[in-house]
Amino acid sequence: MQPKVAVLSGFGINCETETMAVFDMAGAKSDRIHVNRLVNGEVNLADYHIMAVPGGFSFGDHLGSGRLMGNRLRFGLREQVRDFVKSGKPVIGICNGFQVLVKMGLLPGDKDISLTQTASLALNDSGHYENRWATLEFDPNSPCIWTKNMTRIRVPIRHGEGKFVTADKKLLDDWNEAGQLTVRYVDPSTKYPSSSDEVLPYPISPNQSWRNIAGVCDPSGLVFGLMPHPEANHSTWLGATWTRENIEHGEGEGMQIFRNAVNYVLENFNN
Amino acid sequence: MNFHNFVEVTLKESPELPDSRGNTIKNMLMTDHQINIDKVRVLLKYDIKGKISNSQINKAVYDLFADPIIEFGSANNSLLNSKQVFPDIPDLVIQVGFKPGVTDNSGQAALDGLFTLFPSLSKINISCSKTYIFWGIPSHIDVDDLAKKIYNPMIERVSISDKQACLDSEWANLDFPEKPVLTEQPSQTINLEVTDNELIQISEKGLLALNLEEMKAIQANYRNPDVRSERRKLGLPAEAPTDAELECLAQTWSEHCCHKIFAAKIHHVDSETGEDTFIDSLFKTHIMKPTLDIQTEVNWLLSIFHDNSGVIAWNDDWSLCIKAETHNSPSALDPFGGAMTGIVGVNRDILGTGLGARPIANTDVFCFGPPDYSGHIPEGLFHPSRVFRGVHAGVRAGGNESGIPTVNGAIVFDDRYLGKPLVYCGTVGMMPRLLPDGRESHDKTPQPGNIIYMVGGRVGSDGIHGATFSSLELTEDSPSSAVQIGDPITQKKMIDMVLEARDLGLIQVITDNGAGGLSSSVGELAELTGGADLDLAKVPLKQPGLSKWEILVSESQERMTIGVNPEDCEAFERLAALHEVEATAVGRFTDSGAFVVRFGEETVAHLPISFLHDGCPQLQLESEWKPPQHKPIIFPSLDHKGMGEMLSRLMARPNVASKEWWVRSYDHEVIAQSVIKPFCGVNHDAPGDAAVIAPIHGDTQGAVISNGIVPRYSDIDSYAMAAASIDEALRNAVCVGVDLALIAGLDNFCWPDPVESTKTPDGRYKLAQLVRANRALDEVCRAYNLPCISGKDSMKNDATLDGEKISVPPTLLFSLIGNHKDVRKAVSSDFKEAGDMIYLVGETHQELGASELAFMLQAESQGVSGIGGQVPQIDTSRNLSLYRSLTSAMSKELVASAHDCSDAGLAAALAECCFGCDSGANLDISQLLSTQSDLDIWGALFGESLGRILVSIKPKNSQLFEEYMKGHTCNLLGVVCPEDEIIFRNSEEVVLSASMSDLRNSWKGTLNGGIY
Repeated sequence: MQPKVAVLSGFGINCETETMAVFDMAGAKSDRIHVNRLVNGEVNLADYHIMAVPGGFSFGDHLGSGRLMGNRLRFGLREQVRDFVKSGKPVIGICNGFQVLVKMGLLPGDKDISLTQTASLALNDSGHYENRWATLEFDPNSPCIWTKNMTRIRVPIRHGEGKFVTADKKLLDDWNEAGQLTVRYVDPSTKYPSSSDEVLPYPISPNQSWRNIAGVCDPSGLVFGLMPHPEANHSTWLGATWTRENIEHGEGEGMQIFRNAVNYVLENFNN
Repeated sequence: MNFHNFVEVTLKESPELPDSRGNTIKNMLMTDHQINIDKVRVLLKYDIKGKISNSQINKAVYDLFADPIIEFGSANNSLLNSKQVFPDIPDLVIQVGFKPGVTDNSGQAALDGLFTLFPSLSKINISCSKTYIFWGIPSHIDVDDLAKKIYNPMIERVSISDKQACLDSEWANLDFPEKPVLTEQPSQTINLEVTDNELIQISEKGLLALNLEEMKAIQANYRNPDVRSERRKLGLPAEAPTDAELECLAQTWSEHCCHKIFAAKIHHVDSETGEDTFIDSLFKTHIMKPTLDIQTEVNWLLSIFHDNSGVIAWNDDWSLCIKAETHNSPSALDPFGGAMTGIVGVNRDILGTGLGARPIANTDVFCFGPPDYSGHIPEGLFHPSRVFRGVHAGVRAGGNESGIPTVNGAIVFDDRYLGKPLVYCGTVGMMPRLLPDGRESHDKTPQPGNIIYMVGGRVGSDGIHGATFSSLELTEDSPSSAVQIGDPITQKKMIDMVLEARDLGLIQVITDNGAGGLSSSVGELAELTGGADLDLAKVPLKQPGLSKWEILVSESQERMTIGVNPEDCEAFERLAALHEVEATAVGRFTDSGAFVVRFGEETVAHLPISFLHDGCPQLQLESEWKPPQHKPIIFPSLDHKGMGEMLSRLMARPNVASKEWWVRSYDHEVIAQSVIKPFCGVNHDAPGDAAVIAPIHGDTQGAVISNGIVPRYSDIDSYAMAAASIDEALRNAVCVGVDLALIAGLDNFCWPDPVESTKTPDGRYKLAQLVRANRALDEVCRAYNLPCISGKDSMKNDATLDGEKISVPPTLLFSLIGNHKDVRKAVSSDFKEAGDMIYLVGETHQELGASELAFMLQAESQGVSGIGGQVPQIDTSRNLSLYRSLTSAMSKELVASAHDCSDAGLAAALAECCFGCDSGANLDISQLLSTQSDLDIWGALFGESLGRILVSIKPKNSQLFEEYMKGHTCNLLGVVCPEDEIIFRNSEEVVLSASMSDLRNSWKGTLNGGIY
């Protein structure tokens, strides 16, 4: 069986091409699906095994990044999305896609998939958009199926609104307890593991996210989102400093995330 | 139920959640204007006009407008009244909103969001404004002056609450920006049977930018008995053009659209050599001819000169295309909107190439006045730092929101860009060579009978006369209607839709609506089939009341014109609806021989295709070259530390200084293809040379993109300027290991007006500079086998303000696109490790004329020292053979790093290579000095001789590398050192020493745009 991936597109999403490419490299078969094809019933989300909301600038980030696209999904595709997650299928949101999943309440989410927003992504403390490389560290105790067996990766961040915050700080402890604070910015000069709650200095933490959070998963570990772009490091020659490194060329550090999901589907849906 | 509601939104500020928008304003006022404000907060206000219930508005506050987690929202009660939100009474409140009719992307997005929540709503308008709230304003600051620093009266309105008003809670409150009701003017006939003076007046009053000879050519056409009898038959005014016809001709014949100066017949005299000759079109002679000659020898030039961009075959499956545009005049008036429409506009050139190409990379090159300029700024101009910030923000928004990476660029500073900034926006596109239906993608396949669709945005009164306006110099009276703000998301939706339509075989012909609007786009495509019939009544409008000629020439953004087979129309419209893109059939292509424009039943224009496209008379121009005289450079006497400080000051010059703060806010990695990025090195802060991208995911074939620009050299000789620009672009590409068998170029000229007149008494000299630059382009491109596949010129880069004329230095941007056979072998500029051996390849001559050093010494001596001396000369055969050997060595992975030697010479290049390695270096230049008898230490360290690249080689590879470089000048200068110091020696004597951390601080300090 070849897992099928629905990669959403339209309205200013702009990373769908590379997002499709990484799933295909990981052995899946991805389709570019305009959101309206799901809304009008032309395409049925249930026919897919994985849903990806790629990065971009949906609706130009006006009224807050991911907000308007989040509403299109929350109001236009509410039951389709809930059924998809309830059926145990993985979902990923990257950068703008992460913002969409947070604003529509799918992340950090809850057991009932109530689609109630509990966190947000505020403007970076720098006040502007930035493209720079960051080092990420994964929580080994996270239930997230996307990040299994991963320790650290280097990937670019490319956003203006990536500061993960919440209204109720107690939630951060709950999410941490549940392993939902899946991935954090970390100082690359430290030894693994070293992720910490204290906000690291700029630019190690490029946005001054609370607890250095770069990405979170839902309680089930199936829905995952992150601000950085693992799909942008699909091959070694895309690294920030690859010309300084003695490397065997091949797959990049970001690919494991997509392999994990494809393998998860193969293990759980191969009948 | 209210018909006018408003919603306000502001951040729930806390120490852990600072108001970063407010802080950005605070920092900008400090950095650019030295105004120290205690605190700034920002509040967004959405004014909503139309029928909507209270419960709907209340629901929308947190479901749409405000983020329930991090923001406060309020409907119909200002948050400024809330002690919970703003406990302290502000000292000043400034509300900034758009003028009526200016594109309001936030307002449009809010409207879309409102319809998502309440699909049954209709007839609603939303306008978004920003309110800046200040505390702690220095007492000497005038609030109106402060407001001028944060709004642009050209496009925005402002409302201010001063201290007293704040105490009285009388808050700034702009009206809803109702579009003024337009009254459609009935079609008019323009009587051309008038005196010559009156003909000129018609042109000037109508902003037509047509000269007397052109007006007379139009007059003559309407005197032609055949034309008159034909017009009588059609029921058109027989003896005079309609307003729509005259406008259409003015657009098509504008300098912007038809490049009259490059097509002119030029009488060229050279007082140095005695040459006296005629040149029949610089374009045909020096740009087109060399490329056509090269085309006979290569098989990869697929489409040149006739389309929106040039197309080359990159491999058997894919082609690449590239185009650069300038958006100088609009960027002078509204830096943000002007630059944004520049970048999204050139993206459309790519989308309109062949049957539609996907934009995959942007390059941006800007020329500004010095950011620290302290002299007089004429009324009507912005300070260069504000132009810089605005242009940067516009290109950032346009590029990032479109999902196109900005992979390469440059920023050049010179006092003379104060009057007009140059904003070059370039885009690379990619197409599958064959479409699924078997057609070759680079060829348009129009047929008479194809239905003409206008796709994307609507037509409004914005952008009327952009093409003709850019063909005039900038004055206080320049019209604000020429300024527009782009809407990248509308365009992105259109790009997605168009590329899908292309792959479904639904597109027969496509071009963008840029300068001249429908008159140009339909007019140009009509030439392909031999005619078109356009019905303006079908064109969707932003507002009623536009006159017919305005609909025809409006340059409203985000529109493509597409020809579709009648049987494909239904599928085409269905696809557009899916993408929520407006696509309207507005006419059909014909073979009638005429471009016919109607409004319903009424014919408003009927122009024979041949007259429209070939009727413009050729200009006759005079050119005379006299070499300029310059004072020589006076070199101070300095010890090695003094020389180190000299280098440090050079590194801080804006032309050399790090642009990292600015470039980081461009997305340079979207599409996941970026191999050699704008930054490299251990700390990701050393400057890269050319960009390398690998656009097919997982594949290792690459494309190289680079730029060359050296306007300084025009002060001595524009031939040297053009030659150096081309060599710089190629050198940069060589530094990353370009495949020299597949390189193509783009020439983009920005000149001051070179036509002699009372306003331009030195027109002959400026035209001679253009002639010399073109001759350099011809000779160098032929020698490098580097065909120009597309280009552009902007010939009126002068500003007269306060009676003061400021002309830009003659500037050629040369952009290059090339192949890279295997990106895994690409080379970056940063030194890799201590112990690596440093070589300078290429010859160093005593060439300091118009160098960065010369300009610095001139400024530091208040003009006592000049810029005179030998300007760098080109030896194309020596350079090319060296480049071939060096790229061969790279393909064998023998080269650890390679960096271009250009601005500020060897010393600056060395410092930049060291930044990337956190290293120092120890070099001996005695070998350079002994091989060139006239070369001194200044020339060796800071001279800008062309054809030179600084490389580092692992010791184990040095012998083999030297073998590759046999027959070329290749000097081993020294080694990379782990210490913090760079040292240049002449044998034993230290001639320059500097601490790398000092150099780094100087280099990073100048253009640091903010605290982050």
